[in-house]
Amino acid sequence: MSSKAFNLTRGERVFSIANYVVLTIIVIATVYPFLNVLAISFNDSVDTVRGGIYLWPREFTLENYETIFGYKSLLTGFKISILRTVIGTVLGLLSASMLAYVLSRPDFRSSKFLSTFLALTMYFSGGMVPIYILFRDLNLLGTFAVYVLPGIVSAFNVFVIRSFMDGLPYALQESAKLDGANDFKIFYKIILPLCKPVLATIALFLAVGQWNSWFDTYLYNGNKPSLTTLQYELMKILDSTQQGSAMTNANDLANKMAQVSPESIKMAITIVVTVPILVVYPFLQRYFVGGMTLGAVKS
Amino acid sequence: METLTAAQASQTKKRPKKTKTNKRSFLKDLIQQKYLYLMSIPFVIWLFVFNYYPIWGWTMAFQNYKPARTFGEQEWVGFDNFVRLFHDDQFYLVLRNTLAMSGMGLVAGLIFPILFAVLLNEVKSMPFKRITQTISYLPHFVSWVVVAGIVTSLLSLDGIVNDILMWLHLIDEPIQIMAKEHWFWGVVTGSDIWKETGWNAIIYLAAITGIDKELYEAARVDGAGRFRQIWNITLPGIRSTIMVLFVMNIGHLLATGYEKQMLLGNDLVSDYSQVLDLYALDYGIKIAHFSYGTAISMFTSVVSILLLFTANGLFKKFAKESIM
Amino acid sequence: MKLRSTQSLSLLTLSGVLLLSACSSNNNNDEAAGNSASEAPSTSSASASADSGAMDTTPITFSFFGADASPNWNNMQDEIGKVITEKTGVTINAEYDIASGGGENKIALMAASGQYPDIIFAKGELGKLVDAGAIIDLTDLIDKYAPNLKKLIGENTNRLKYSLDDQSIYSIPTNGGVDQQYFDATGGFEVQLRVLEELGYPEIKTVQDFENVLKEYVAKHPTTDGQPTIPLLLNADDWKSMITVTNPAFIATGAPDDGEYYVDPTTYEAKLHYKRPEEREYFKWLNHMYNEGLLDKDTFVQKDDQYQAKIASGRVLGLISQEWEYGNAENALKAAGKHEYTYGHFPVTLNDQYQDHELVSAGIDFSGISITTANKDPIRTIKFLDWLASDEGQVLLNWGIEGVHYNVENGKRVIPADVLDKKVNDNSNFMKTTGIGLYTTFSMHYGDGVQDSTGNYYTTNFPDQIIASYSDAEKAALKGYNATTWKDLWPTDLPVKEWGALYNMQAPTDGDYQVIYQKTQDIIRKSIPKAILAKPEEFDKTYDQFLADLDKAGAEKMESIYTGLVKNRVKLFTGKDIQ
Repeated sequence: MSSKAFNLTRGERVFSIANYVVLTIIVIATVYPFLNVLAISFNDSVDTVRGGIYLWPREFTLENYETIFGYKSLLTGFKISILRTVIGTVLGLLSASMLAYVLSRPDFRSSKFLSTFLALTMYFSGGMVPIYILFRDLNLLGTFAVYVLPGIVSAFNVFVIRSFMDGLPYALQESAKLDGANDFKIFYKIILPLCKPVLATIALFLAVGQWNSWFDTYLYNGNKPSLTTLQYELMKILDSTQQGSAMTNANDLANKMAQVSPESIKMAITIVVTVPILVVYPFLQRYFVGGMTLGAVKS
Repeated sequence: METLTAAQASQTKKRPKKTKTNKRSFLKDLIQQKYLYLMSIPFVIWLFVFNYYPIWGWTMAFQNYKPARTFGEQEWVGFDNFVRLFHDDQFYLVLRNTLAMSGMGLVAGLIFPILFAVLLNEVKSMPFKRITQTISYLPHFVSWVVVAGIVTSLLSLDGIVNDILMWLHLIDEPIQIMAKEHWFWGVVTGSDIWKETGWNAIIYLAAITGIDKELYEAARVDGAGRFRQIWNITLPGIRSTIMVLFVMNIGHLLATGYEKQMLLGNDLVSDYSQVLDLYALDYGIKIAHFSYGTAISMFTSVVSILLLFTANGLFKKFAKESIM
Repeated sequence: MKLRSTQSLSLLTLSGVLLLSACSSNNNNDEAAGNSASEAPSTSSASASADSGAMDTTPITFSFFGADASPNWNNMQDEIGKVITEKTGVTINAEYDIASGGGENKIALMAASGQYPDIIFAKGELGKLVDAGAIIDLTDLIDKYAPNLKKLIGENTNRLKYSLDDQSIYSIPTNGGVDQQYFDATGGFEVQLRVLEELGYPEIKTVQDFENVLKEYVAKHPTTDGQPTIPLLLNADDWKSMITVTNPAFIATGAPDDGEYYVDPTTYEAKLHYKRPEEREYFKWLNHMYNEGLLDKDTFVQKDDQYQAKIASGRVLGLISQEWEYGNAENALKAAGKHEYTYGHFPVTLNDQYQDHELVSAGIDFSGISITTANKDPIRTIKFLDWLASDEGQVLLNWGIEGVHYNVENGKRVIPADVLDKKVNDNSNFMKTTGIGLYTTFSMHYGDGVQDSTGNYYTTNFPDQIIASYSDAEKAALKGYNATTWKDLWPTDLPVKEWGALYNMQAPTDGDYQVIYQKTQDIIRKSIPKAILAKPEEFDKTYDQFLADLDKAGAEKMESIYTGLVKNRVKLFTGKDIQ
């Protein structure tokens, strides 16, 4: 790495500059929607209707956030959301990495059956009703377990991790085996530490998925105030007319419109649900941006 | 370069040809690899219970399902729902739109994130790299409602896109871009790229960090430039991740969701904006025709699985690798 | 190979069984608490039926599901919620639908799994539960235990019945007020107050008048605050197009709101309202407005927020909408003190042959509250619902607690200024803490303008309030038309519709009906904009094609099914014998 300073050719320099320019343009283009949401969330909700808020609030206010935090159920929701995110992510990582390791072993006999069995689950679902009835029969309705247990295995995550493991030198495992380590130990002691970048990525996917989901709360735990999640509580505040096309009752629509949250509150909700995840991000990011040298681990 | 081919060789070497199996050797394997089985069988059971067992719900597609009745009381109608589906002109329309948009999305969703990840990887300044990466993934968390609003105003008659085109004298008067049916697929794909590229690049970035840095050192010693390094080391290094994602996404060609199409679309472009998932919602669940909805999702599943096997087969044939 | 798979299969099933039993033993307790909350002490129901006079106030909890969102629901920890519990012993454990609303998903799952709450507000999904045998007939319960409900129902028992074939009463209509009077009109066609003033309060009765006014003003003032003036703006973003584009077609041609249908008042034949020749003329007029450049070019492309922003900028002269639809934008104008940029309402029709029927009454015909078979104590439940419908209950739900939320001065109920201020300016917090407005779904109630035995209104809305809420600019405009409210411009004394409100009629989910309906909806949504945007000489061709497409999709069959339903409804409601 230290050799780069004297190594730059003219072409390299052009490439570098062009690269910085392109990436800067991408940053500008992609930062806009979020800043826009942020600006609107701090703008007076009546004033927002006039439009034309871009990067900066026109009439600054904290009222939108005060309104949101005025809902007491948010705190319970927040706790449950964190709990499900942590537990769901840990369980999901465990299952996906174990399965990925098993599949990455070329000498595993049932790997074709297992990978097909897994892959198919990505493309079908029995549908809402049978799943609901299954959960009822397993007594999962109205429990915390319904958030983390049914989705423990995600085939997508398994295959992504396996593709990473496939790229690791196989020789590492063989030498460990010669040293008398069993398969679980090899997985745990040798493979897992090498997989940090991909595990961090999958952890991010799992955490965001868990954090953002509200539909399971809605279907299975809506009548359990002690088990509702932050997202679900915020969905309650959100407008209820987005898909009103099925309704033809003008009176009802009028009543509902009175309950519609103003744009600014919606944006503040977006910020409230996104920020906790953004806080986690830097901790995971160093694994897949920082870069790690395999060589160091190898020796 | 030599190190690279060596790495590739070690990859192919990894899968020794299996000899013909019989019962005894299976039992022996079972004992020998007991940890591997212990690490996988619980999850197989799990998947069976939570994913495979509820498939009995597919029987609904062959019934005139009524939520109120028990399984035994349902009326069986054979393939009626499928016959109706395949005779509906609108089904073919939404199928066309779905395939067009997801096909475009598949290609764009492959090229742009990879390109972005590769470019990012070439950045030497760590703070710049981290900031760029963090910011680029933010739009993923902004809902489609907001993004659709922004896109619509950018593309409106007095929006910035028309202003730029006018300024460049490419057009004489503003164009109502969102009213053009034929441009709708492009608008959806473009918005998708804008919103998801940074997020989708994360996986490739992680894969890139798995590439042995010694390979780059060696290439540099050989005098390879940046493009050569990208082409000969970075891309081959993440090939297996690219292929796995590509194959899995091919299987998802029919499952596009409907949110972005609905929010970006309007009544003028509905012939090009309606997709299969919305059709299933409108003509299935929303009007309590659960059987019809199930028939559609069964069709989607079967086609998805066929696509998956085809893609995987081709992958296996040409790349000598396979996800299954 | 074969052996291997059977082996693994048996292994799999075995552990599957283990897993299942483990799970079920774990969570049994949770389940019982979660589903049916009516764990009433068994003594309570016995004593309740014994003496129907005194109120049983032993604590009891009812689980409830509401198909509409109610974001301010506070688990009865609000002020009037506590009073309700204190007086009736009842706690409601409520769950409300969210997001898309309407209860579709949740109620489908309830019907499929048999997991019902004790009480339910099912709205359009009631039919699914009735089919599932989940709803109990309330006829006898109301008769025996609910004197207050009986008083409210009055002569309208027929209107509560489910259908001609099944004359049970499955729900108590709570989603609207009995004998509701409208104090103001908030629909019709809208014209900016500054336009009215400058043109000297011209007569605006027909679409031609409306067009002339807009044309004249925009010619004089082509720009507003430096931006181009927009003569007419509609909103076609998703379902809003129904409010501002398609519904006005029947409003302007003298038909009442029967959803997508028009019902002939003499033969009770129902047809899609678009098929009426006069509505074709209406759309032709819109087409003319577009081609004249009076209707905004962005109409069918813009999103709701862009539409609202244009109105809020003050440069839109005319609208065809309902006040609640553009209310956010109007509030922004009011907040900026631009009262002359807000709108007046006019009952505009296609020509002077027609009378605006927006204010016609549909009579008692609302969705309401039902008791399910899971309810362990229906008698206690009906008594609870009856108490809420008593004068005491209604006043509590509407006005709140005496001495806290209102005072009685000289026999009149008055809301103190500080309470009123909170109610107007911080309504969601006000609802959350007081509970006023949260319980109306549970209670059958009188509407605005009905007085109780003390001469006070049941609700907190009355005519003086409406007038007090007008801005000076609005008052001046009304004076220009010799009116005190916009309603004065509307025709009144229209006969009550015999078929009630058709959007509450359960359409058959069986067979083709719903599919055809959905298809016609798709056709309408894409054809109407096409017709409006067509070149004037191509309008007729486009509209003919639209009508042909509707019939090709099976509209006639759908209409004949619907006609049958409407006729049955009229028979049920009025006892008339119709062919």
